[in-house]
Formats: sequence, structure tokens, C-alpha cells
Amino acid sequence: MAAFTVTANGGTFLSRLIGHIHSRFVDPRTQVACLHTSAVLHTKNWERKNRILYPPQQKDEPPRPAEIYHSRRQIKYSKDKMWYLAKLIRGMTIDQALAQLEFNDKKGAKVIKEVLLEAQDMAVKNHNVEYKSNLHVAESFSSKGKYLKRIRYHGRGMFGIMDKVYCHYFVKLVEGMPPTVEQSTAFDQAKEYVEQLKKRTIIYSL
Amino acid sequence: MNMATSICRTLKLFHETTWHNLKHVVVPIRTKKRFFIPPPVNVKSKTQAEQMAKARASGVVIPQEYMERAINISCTAGIFDPYIPPEGDARLSSLSKEGLMQRTKQIQQTAASQLAIRKIKEHDSEFSTKEFAVRAQEIFIEAHMALTQFNKEKLHSLVTERCYPEMVRGNRYKTLHWRFIESLEPPRIVHARCPDMISKGNLYGQVTIRMHSRQTLAIYDRFGRLMLGDEEEPRDVLEYLVMERHLVNPYGCWRLHGKIVPAWAPSKGPVIKTVMLPGPLLKPGEEFESLNYEVPKPKPVQWYK
Repeated sequence: MAAFTVTANGGTFLSRLIGHIHSRFVDPRTQVACLHTSAVLHTKNWERKNRILYPPQQKDEPPRPAEIYHSRRQIKYSKDKMWYLAKLIRGMTIDQALAQLEFNDKKGAKVIKEVLLEAQDMAVKNHNVEYKSNLHVAESFSSKGKYLKRIRYHGRGMFGIMDKVYCHYFVKLVEGMPPTVEQSTAFDQAKEYVEQLKKRTIIYSL
Repeated sequence: MNMATSICRTLKLFHETTWHNLKHVVVPIRTKKRFFIPPPVNVKSKTQAEQMAKARASGVVIPQEYMERAINISCTAGIFDPYIPPEGDARLSSLSKEGLMQRTKQIQQTAASQLAIRKIKEHDSEFSTKEFAVRAQEIFIEAHMALTQFNKEKLHSLVTERCYPEMVRGNRYKTLHWRFIESLEPPRIVHARCPDMISKGNLYGQVTIRMHSRQTLAIYDRFGRLMLGDEEEPRDVLEYLVMERHLVNPYGCWRLHGKIVPAWAPSKGPVIKTVMLPGPLLKPGEEFESLNYEVPKPKPVQWYK
């Protein structure tokens, strides 16, 4: 038993265990409730945002644009690779986003397209959105899902722990045209810089 | 001697336990894991019989799940022998000749209704046709006020279990503003039946009341935008309510069971937003305008709400 030793490759295994040393060994009855006693990983907060009920608006107020939150969990794809697609469609109208994803060669593009179509359908049926094309992607991001761990065999009896990666994808659709970002040209930026230089004064001077 | 310094598992992580489970947990000390064993990869090639045999051999017991559905006996599931409102009910005034004829026809109710009312009076001694109609209208108003505030307990006491989902469906994420302004005609009992369910003697009383009133309705969606109706515009509404009570039960009370919408009822009017209806499937060369497609209108049939 003592002679049998298994060393992990690269020491990643040990460092991960070392990182887990919290003070959980304290008697639970005396422990004060801290942030980490709540189940942070298993809450579906994004889906809960679809259930907020706003009070009725007065007639003089501008109409509140509808917001639809949708997500898909445990997609078999890398979160870093998914980020590129999420960043691509950020700020686009939904039709434009669907068109871009349809002709994109990545695996995650198909998944995101399904998610967007589901969200569009939900918007029209459940959230009183009038025109299904009048939506734009306000927020779109990906995050890490729960990984499965497997052994990756190396030479000389060494092994590494292989992560089977999963990711979540979240999207928020808002009714209306996307907000226009003012593009300032190089000349404008230079002009602003020169004006800033001219605005400078010396304090406490005569 | 063991040279590999694997971290000894003196510390156990409580990652999924809530505060309540922590009372009975035993913290293991000195469970020193020497080597890493990955979780077994799921092999899907096992057949169902093999999987069950393996589970039984290992001692895993799966408790039997009984597919049961609770049946509610405090109300019936529908409206039995429904009242068919005569056409042009609220169009004629009582003073004209046709109106008088209609009134007399309605006042001599059919024999079945009289029988039913007599049966109800046997079980409920305080039943009187005139008072009951007024009480029914009060129940109707109270139930709808509870619906606007969404007071679940009060609503369940005023409305039967069959009517509750129909009133509440789709309204969870909407705001309702409803107001009963006045009653244009005093409410009247027009129909009564006493069906018995399953076993003879298990009597339920169903009474239909006709009421003509003025109401205001405005429905706002999740974001506070007006979806249907108007806050200030009152509308004249002719309704046929069905009240039900489990007569044999001494603690039963008269509750709203449903509404009858006659076949000749005027259409409710359009919603504020535009709705897309699915059209015919077009072949590659066809155009929609050349098809002369007519939007199919719903058939005017009496239905119960």
C-alpha cells in the first residue's frame, strides 16, 4: 500500500485540492451563515427574470419595451468558443443575428440559433410582443457548466484529468431597434483632444 | 513509506447540503484517498433487463411510482343540460309586444327547472328564487374583485374548482383592472337542474342566472402596457352565470361554476396589438395575393366558459 503511489501530471490535481481548504471543518451549529452556504450554483436566476410583473403604466409615460430572458444549460461546447459567437450577435437585430448564425460554421452557432428562435416564439406567445422582427439582442453571454472528469492517459504511467466541457448560454431580447452607438471618426477624436488641451487652466493663478 | 503527499481528506466539503441537513452529517476524518478513480463512463449498451438485474443484485431499490390523479368531488366537471339563451334576448325592451311575449315565455319556466328548484328547496330550506339571484350577483362581483387582487383563498371559496383554472389561466403575469358600475336589469333565475353524479342521491344543484350589467375591464401585460379594453369605457354586458352547490353536503355553498356564451353573442372586439395568423403553405412559384385567400371565421356555436 505504501509503495503504490500515483503522481498527478503537472501537479494540477494537488493544487486544486489545496485551493479547497476552507474552514468547513467548524461545527455546523456554531457556524454563522456566510455567502457560501447558499446554493449559488443551482439557482436558475436568469429564468426567474421572466416572471417580474411591472405595475400598469400611466397614459403619459412612454411604453416600456418588452424584455425576454432565455437560456440553455449544459451545452456540449466550450465556454470560450461559445464566447466568440455570443460576442458576434451582441447588439444585432434578431433577424440579422439569425442570418449570421445560420451561415456560421461553428457547432455553437446551431445551438444559439435554436435558442434565439425559441426566445422569439416565447416573446410572441407569452410576453405580448407585437412584431417578432422588432426584437434585438441586448445581452448575450456564455458561462461554464458542470464538467465531467475523465482520465487522459499519458506515457510512463502518468495521467491527467480530462474535462468534458459544458457551457450555458444566456440571451436577453428587448423589443425595438438596437440603440445606435455613435461612431466618432478619428478627426472628431483629435478635435476633442485639442479642445481638452485648450481648456486647461492653471489654478490659483492671477 | 508513502512518498506521494496527497492531501489527506481531513476536510469534507458540504457543497450541496442546506442548513437543515448539516445537523445529521458525520464529518469523516482520515479518509486518505491514495489514487484517483474517475467516475464510470455510462455504457448505454446494457439492455433494460440486464440493468434491472444489476440494480437488484446491488441492492438498489426503486420505489414504485403510482400514477394517481386526485379527483375533486366538491364540484361537477361541466354544465349539465345547459340553458340555451333565446336569440335577441336583450335586444327587445319589455314594453313592446314581442318583448312581453318573450318575458311570459321565460317566466313560465320549463317543468324540469321547476322540479329542480323544488328538489333544491328540499335540501336547502332557505332557497328563494328572488333572493338567490341577488346573492348570485354579489358572489359574481366579489369573485371578480378577488381575481383582480388575486386573493387565492377567497377566490376558491367563491368559485368552484372547475371554474377556477378558467378564470385564472394566463393571468399570473398580467394585471387586471375590473369595475362593476351598475346592474341595468335585476338578475333573474332562468334555468335550474339537479344532476346526480356517479351514485344516485349524490345531488348537485346547477342554477343559471341571467344578468345585464355595465362593467369596465382593462388588462395590462407583464410590462404594464395595455393589452385589452379601456379603463374608463363602460360596456353593457349580458351574461348567463351558472352557480353550483353540492346539495347533499351540509357545508356546501353556492359558488360560481361557469358562464354560458350564446351562439349569437356579439364578438368581443380586437386586441390592441396585431396578431399574425398562420396562412396557407405556398408552393415555390405562387404568390399570396393571387390566391384570394379568405381568413376563416370561427363558427358561431354556444360554448361554456
